[in-house]
Amino acid sequence: MQALYNTHVKLLAFDFLALSPNPKDLSSFSRKGTPLSRAESVGVVVTRDLKPGKFLRFTIDDGTGCIPCVLWLNQLTSSYFSKRNPSGVRLNAQMALKFASEIQLGVVARVRGRITGYRGLVQITVSDVVLETDPNAQVLHWLDCVRLARKCYGKFCKSCS
Amino acid sequence: MATSAIRAGALVTLQELNPSSPNFKQGASFRVTGKLQEYNLETSIAVIVDGDASLKVDTQHLKLNLRSGSIYQFIGELHIEPSNEAILKARVGRNVDGLDINLYRQTLRLLKDFQAEQINA
Repeated sequence: MQALYNTHVKLLAFDFLALSPNPKDLSSFSRKGTPLSRAESVGVVVTRDLKPGKFLRFTIDDGTGCIPCVLWLNQLTSSYFSKRNPSGVRLNAQMALKFASEIQLGVVARVRGRITGYRGLVQITVSDVVLETDPNAQVLHWLDCVRLARKCYGKFCKSCS
Repeated sequence: MATSAIRAGALVTLQELNPSSPNFKQGASFRVTGKLQEYNLETSIAVIVDGDASLKVDTQHLKLNLRSGSIYQFIGELHIEPSNEAILKARVGRNVDGLDINLYRQTLRLLKDFQAEQINA
């Protein structure tokens, strides 16, 4: 049951938005009974709200739904990171700034991160962003999502058998 | 959980946006793909085509260098004029030259079947 827990699971937006929070473990969400903590999605950036030094909120539209995403930019000011290795934190901060500059309206982005909840919405707390320049990337992602949902994710699903 | 405030651009072909189609609704959000046939610089209105179907796209909010003959994808809201002519008010757009159109069309059908199957499961 835990096989997919630490995997960045490729999900279509409509499938992602239907994830339900686990009442016993706030860091975990479930898809048809399968616990998940990370997700990967590809879509067009359709909203962008930057709070410099704090976070970038954006939304990606994959044609089946819109996934809210948050990219934290507070690595150098938040006490959360104060006990971590400073060079690692600086590197994370630089990467986050680079991702934030790449996320612009209309680009197609592949986003990976933790599945989190915010004000009743399921969202991705972003750890990686890759801009897709191949016009077929979105199509291939859709096909991956459908194939994996049909052939792979069902194998770990309690309620599907 | 709750749903996002912004609506996704539903995936449609231009053939699915004719006046008799259930998609032909004022304010509905769509993602459309087609070859740029013409572009009016003064009005920022583009016309994209796919086979025998065409659609006007209002690109006034976009910073795109449009080229006739290239393939573009737009996301926006459908505005139906009193003459029953549709125009998509684009929010975002991009050049998708190199897109495998046949694979794209087949994948849209597969996606719709998959979504219906998941919703009915």
